Amino acid sequence: MEGISYQRFPKVKIRELKDDYAKFELRDTDASMANALRRVMISEVPTIAIDLVEIEVNSSVLNDEFIAHRLGLIPLTSERAMSMRFSRDCDACDGDGQCEFCSVEFHLRAKCISDQTLDVTSKDLYSSDHTVVPVDFTDNAGYDSTEPRGIIIVKLRRGQELRLRAIARKGIGKDHAKWSPAATVTFMYEPEIHINEDLMESLTLEEKLSFVESSPTKVFDIDPNTQQVVVVDPEAYTYDDEVLKKAEAMGKPGLVEIYAKEDSFIFTVESTGAIKASQLVLNAIEILKQKLDAVRLSEDTVEADDQFGELGAHMRGG
Amino acid sequence: MTCTCRITSYYNSQGNIRDFFKIRMSILDVLVGVGMTTSWPKVDYAGPPRALPVLLDGCVIGSLSSGEADKVVAHLRRLKVSAASVIPDDLEVGYVPLSLGGTYPGLYLFTSPSRFIRPVRNISIPSSDGKDIEHIGPFEQVFMEIKCPDGGNGGRSTTFPATHEELMPTAMLSVVANLTPWSDHNQSPRNMYQCQMAKQTMAFSLQALHSRADQKLYHLQTPQTPIVRTKTYTKYGLDDYPSGTNAIVAVLAYTGYDMEDAMILNKSAVERGMCRGQIYQTETIDLCEGKSNQGQRIFKREHSDKAISSFVDSDGLPYVGQVIHGNEPYCSTINQVTNSKRVYNHKGSEMAIVDYVAVDTKNKQHLQKKRVNIRFRHPRNPIIGDKFSSRHGQKGVCSQLWPDIDMPFSGVTGMRPDLIINPHAFPSRMTIAMLLESVAAKGGSLHGKFVDATPFSDAVKGANGKTETESESLVDELGSMLRARGFNYHGVERLRHMVSDKYQVRATGQVDQITRQPIKGRKRGGGIRFGEMERDSMLAHGAAYLLHDRLHTCSDYHIADVCSLCGSILTTAIIQPQKRVVREIGGLPPARAPKKWEWRSLWKKLFWIRFFHRVEAVGFLGGI
Repeated sequence: MEGISYQRFPKVKIRELKDDYAKFELRDTDASMANALRRVMISEVPTIAIDLVEIEVNSSVLNDEFIAHRLGLIPLTSERAMSMRFSRDCDACDGDGQCEFCSVEFHLRAKCISDQTLDVTSKDLYSSDHTVVPVDFTDNAGYDSTEPRGIIIVKLRRGQELRLRAIARKGIGKDHAKWSPAATVTFMYEPEIHINEDLMESLTLEEKLSFVESSPTKVFDIDPNTQQVVVVDPEAYTYDDEVLKKAEAMGKPGLVEIYAKEDSFIFTVESTGAIKASQLVLNAIEILKQKLDAVRLSEDTVEADDQFGELGAHMRGG
Repeated sequence: MTCTCRITSYYNSQGNIRDFFKIRMSILDVLVGVGMTTSWPKVDYAGPPRALPVLLDGCVIGSLSSGEADKVVAHLRRLKVSAASVIPDDLEVGYVPLSLGGTYPGLYLFTSPSRFIRPVRNISIPSSDGKDIEHIGPFEQVFMEIKCPDGGNGGRSTTFPATHEELMPTAMLSVVANLTPWSDHNQSPRNMYQCQMAKQTMAFSLQALHSRADQKLYHLQTPQTPIVRTKTYTKYGLDDYPSGTNAIVAVLAYTGYDMEDAMILNKSAVERGMCRGQIYQTETIDLCEGKSNQGQRIFKREHSDKAISSFVDSDGLPYVGQVIHGNEPYCSTINQVTNSKRVYNHKGSEMAIVDYVAVDTKNKQHLQKKRVNIRFRHPRNPIIGDKFSSRHGQKGVCSQLWPDIDMPFSGVTGMRPDLIINPHAFPSRMTIAMLLESVAAKGGSLHGKFVDATPFSDAVKGANGKTETESESLVDELGSMLRARGFNYHGVERLRHMVSDKYQVRATGQVDQITRQPIKGRKRGGGIRFGEMERDSMLAHGAAYLLHDRLHTCSDYHIADVCSLCGSILTTAIIQPQKRVVREIGGLPPARAPKKWEWRSLWKKLFWIRFFHRVEAVGFLGGI
């Protein structure tokens, strides 16, 4: 049994990379790996979020819990999160979560003194650590950059006041969605589309056109020169089977054949802004490795070698 | 429909007082002009069926030959609608036609103020420049032929056609019924259920929350406006009082936790604030209540009273924003004469937050505060057991809060559902509108538009005879909006039935004073009756120990002493239980037989009516 190795060498090819968006291909592995990566990205990559709020004055229209909840959901820049300690196993502060190793303190003081409504935004949160601040969306195009715009926490009218102290801690999305760094993580099997050229040639131009238009997304098009149906964007295909049904309805089953490549995935990752999308993927792989190490190096695994069989050897081999 | 109604007034549209004598005279002139014979005192005139009496505001003014009546009524109505005539537009033309065994026939006219009237369209008048709206009253409408503008004839024959038409087909629906999108596509009982349920929603029911002291108020923290809505929703401005949220719904038999009308909520969505809410509850403490110590008690806390100082301020009232758990104090009063204090504890085990404290200054003669309203806030985030519903009478209970990562996801967009419901909710209930709503809401959300879902709107003919929407059917309209597949959006309402208000569990607890059996009622920490049928069930299962536990150990378990002489357990003296050592010396067994209290009280009652029971205690006395 020792001789056979199922080890594979997955490849990653990056398609597109922005600060909060990444699209990449993951090849030569199976769905279990792809899904593990997705799950870790959503729920186990740590970030920093406000976890404890002490309200001194709140005369706004929103109640204390509502404001605390809103504060918790504000994404904070969390590059530090991987090296930070969870406050529950912090030695320096005995777990009360108030030391620099495991927490960041925020202050918010806002009072409306004019007749105009005052928007209290994430910009009004003052951090004790300049590396952990509310995510700034203003430099991302789309907003009027002259006007600083944060995430609105509450609106105050004349005379209303909000004063609070907040402690941000490290956490993971499994505990609470506010710690999840991922807005969207999804993967799909890469589709493989084959057109039966002979059968396609038997169609008239109108039939070809109606076939092309039967797909709700733009997967096929007609070459203006040769008037042949060509695949322009296989990944636009959403596995909706519309074209297959169309072919069936035209009496030409087998006009196109579409397979899902079961060992290659197209990932789309969107970050909340807490960490960069690229960093999110790297952190996820790091955490996945740590989790696998925990299984591989545990006493139980060595003891249960017989039970695991070839898998045990495989795990120990790395 | 009610919102179109109005009351006839003493004033005309210019705000001047109307001359009712002049109005009656002009009506009389018109009637005489069309052939009414005016009545004179002591002059007999023909009665029905030859002629019909004409009454104006309850006075007989003449008679009309039966053959002419139909024409006269039509003429009166035409004059009523036209602005130029002297006949007022709120005249009630109650024409009771000749019938066998029906109401006494006649023409009953009313001009008086304070009558209820509503607009309908008069279709017997050729509609020119939109002057065909007639105001009718409750008396005349039962004798009129008013059809629903749904395009059909309402089952009327061509010889006896409708003369009037409702303004909107939705006029037959109430306010709540009007809020169900596409209710014309639903099975009718479902619409009825929805009308019941819409009133139970945990909604955003008022704006002036900060200055209210309602006994109990349910409040939704994160409401949304529905993507699919009816015209009534916009008309009544219900966006100011929204009652639900839009949710991404997957119709899926996913884990089995959505069987039998259960639903799975996305845990992460709930953590992000979906369907959050709170209950506001106000406690009123009135020191003027009660007879004896009136004016003696004041709100105060002793400075030395350290036990409650973290909950109650020195003025005897709680701190605003203070978290109060079950049975913790929130208010303290002191009797100035006897110097005795009283502490008010928070009832129940649920956590509450002091939201607001208001001193009632209604009573001017007491300058001190005597009446205080304390409003508590109970946060109620969705938990397992809470009830939710769509807008189509499809209610369900949350059975699991499922983590985001375990939810199904769309490969293309990465969307995860907020809510999973079971497909079996559809075939037998036939809530087609719910399917339509999900398709339309998805289209609407992708295009950033609201979708109109007014029922019967395809039946309403526009000015040019075309239906209001360009397309032939709903499918044509929405089909082009949908480019991708995936999850569906729904308006979801959170209903106010929550487990935290309903759960009733106890092992043992409070018992009744007389019978010593567990008490009833959730509020008092009572149990749920384990009755005969339940007992039968336990017997059938052979669960003897469980039965013994329920009916004896957790119920009216009691230990009593038996008199060795008379064999009775009843005594006037209080017997101190003997110490174990004493019993051992006396040769008594250490264990004592428990007796049912119910049995003891039965004994007592029998004793009063000269029955005497005895326990044969020979076995006990003999010892070992």
